[in-house]
Amino acid sequence: MADTLIFAIPKGRILDDALPVLARVGIEPAPEFHDPKNRSLRFRTNRADMDIIRVRAFDVATFVAHGAAQIGIVGSDVIDEFDYSDLYAPVDLNFGHCRLSVAEPVDEAGGHQPRPSHIRVATKYPNITRRHFERQGVQAECVKLNGAMELAPSLGLARQIVDLVESGRTLKDNGLVETEVITQVSARLIINRAALKKDHARLGPLMSAFRDLAAEQRQAA
Amino acid sequence: MSETNPDILPAGLADLLPPRAEQAARLTRNAMDVFAGHGYDRVSPPLVEYERSLASRMQGTGRQHLFRMVDPTSMRTLAIRSDITVQVGRVATTLMASAPRPLRLSYAGQVLRIASDQLAPERERLQIGAELIGHDNIAAAQEVVRIAIEALSQAGVSGITVDLTLPDLVDTLAGTAFPLVPTEISSVRRELDMKDAGGLTALGADAYLPLLYAMGPFEVAITALAAIDAGGVLASRISALRQIVAGLPDDVTVTLDPTERHGFEYQSWFGFSLYAEGCAGVLGRGGTYAIPDGKGGEEVATGFSLYPDGLLDMELNGGDGSAGKLFLPLGHDRAVAARLRAIGWRTLAALTDSDDAVALGCTHRLDGNETIQL
Repeated sequence: MADTLIFAIPKGRILDDALPVLARVGIEPAPEFHDPKNRSLRFRTNRADMDIIRVRAFDVATFVAHGAAQIGIVGSDVIDEFDYSDLYAPVDLNFGHCRLSVAEPVDEAGGHQPRPSHIRVATKYPNITRRHFERQGVQAECVKLNGAMELAPSLGLARQIVDLVESGRTLKDNGLVETEVITQVSARLIINRAALKKDHARLGPLMSAFRDLAAEQRQAA
Repeated sequence: MSETNPDILPAGLADLLPPRAEQAARLTRNAMDVFAGHGYDRVSPPLVEYERSLASRMQGTGRQHLFRMVDPTSMRTLAIRSDITVQVGRVATTLMASAPRPLRLSYAGQVLRIASDQLAPERERLQIGAELIGHDNIAAAQEVVRIAIEALSQAGVSGITVDLTLPDLVDTLAGTAFPLVPTEISSVRRELDMKDAGGLTALGADAYLPLLYAMGPFEVAITALAAIDAGGVLASRISALRQIVAGLPDDVTVTLDPTERHGFEYQSWFGFSLYAEGCAGVLGRGGTYAIPDGKGGEEVATGFSLYPDGLLDMELNGGDGSAGKLFLPLGHDRAVAARLRAIGWRTLAALTDSDDAVALGCTHRLDGNETIQL
């Protein structure tokens, strides 16, 4: 199979940490990739049989799940949100650490009021949020936002939010406090299920290289 | 809300137009001919059954995906089939319970599920399959895998990959060599299914790690699997897999992924999935399983189903086999036309003298006894 392998990586938070990891397994994007003025979305790499695409985090999972890209790196928050059956997440790359948490206004947090059976939550992660509150017997009505979740409580859109928390700084600046951690998040290698079966010759060694690298780093830590 | 187009189809449903409808029919015909050639007799169960009967033979999440309605005649709940295999199971263990075993049955038809997802948006699919009822031994597995491959290659599919798996491996190991308490089994299985080595370690299930590395090209993977010391539990499985693979055609790629669970909710010791070059998803699955007979017992079986919708847009070797479309002008010789049809021509007879052969897609025109290229 001589088709070009497509490696999908997300814009933003994870990208800076991902590039050195890619370099360690021998994948270097073409120089244009680092040019901020370049508007391309697809780039050549030092491997003739591999291109890199740079897309939004949620789209990394979608491209790989559909097999449009065969392999990618994405946060475990995205994997949990989609719960795509056609993704393997074989390696915890041990960077991009943060957590997915519930937060609410400082003045309303704490206290021991009985839990309501129905709440409204502003989030980019409606599926994780719904599942999380379902386990507690609470029906969560999610208001899907794509950013600036922290504004929702003060403007009356929803009393609680579910969002990624790294340092907790943004929450604090917006008068919110983290009340519950839903899950810890880190960057994962993902591979399309069918692609790994059909093209194990190329994807298998890549998977092993990332796995060895992650194990090595864990041992060093 | 604005009025929507009244002719639009509901989400996940589509018309098959030419040439896709023809391709679907041809794939079905080819596969059914292969099954018939190997002694499988065709059955054709109804589209709708009592929900209770269908659901009682379905495992896992399948029964959540049934379209249901109330039968005005019996006031019982009906369901539209989402899997013909369970209907064949019912036929085999009831109406054909006394037929000699092994019982070889084949089927083809449309199935429907109530919900779809972004990855597989279609709600209606074509299902074609064959089931060998009464045996789940190595010989049965060999026969079924071979026939599945033959059905695809007869239809012109090339670059076939067969991925073998051992669906009940984790359950077996959890009860013997690598003990797990029942509550841990599903977590371990999930991490194995995601191929997540770190997740297995976090669960304290390091014993299962080598299984993750025993995947890939068959020879490499089976050697890795053989190196795992599981107190002999694996030895018989390994030998069985080797025997199954030994009989497969050379041009088929064989891979092994012993912990693949996805799509194998009801299979027992052996399962396989089929992939083809140029087709993104899985084309079919099969394996060994047990059919509940409705009286508390069960009967073993081996079989597979193909879901060939992914092939409808592919150029398959052997193409549509037609020599071309031949325009028959008014007053043509009917005997000549009949002879040409008999050797594979498709003819299109003029109804008026203004019929336009080219616009109607004809490649040739009949002139006396001659076919003239247009």
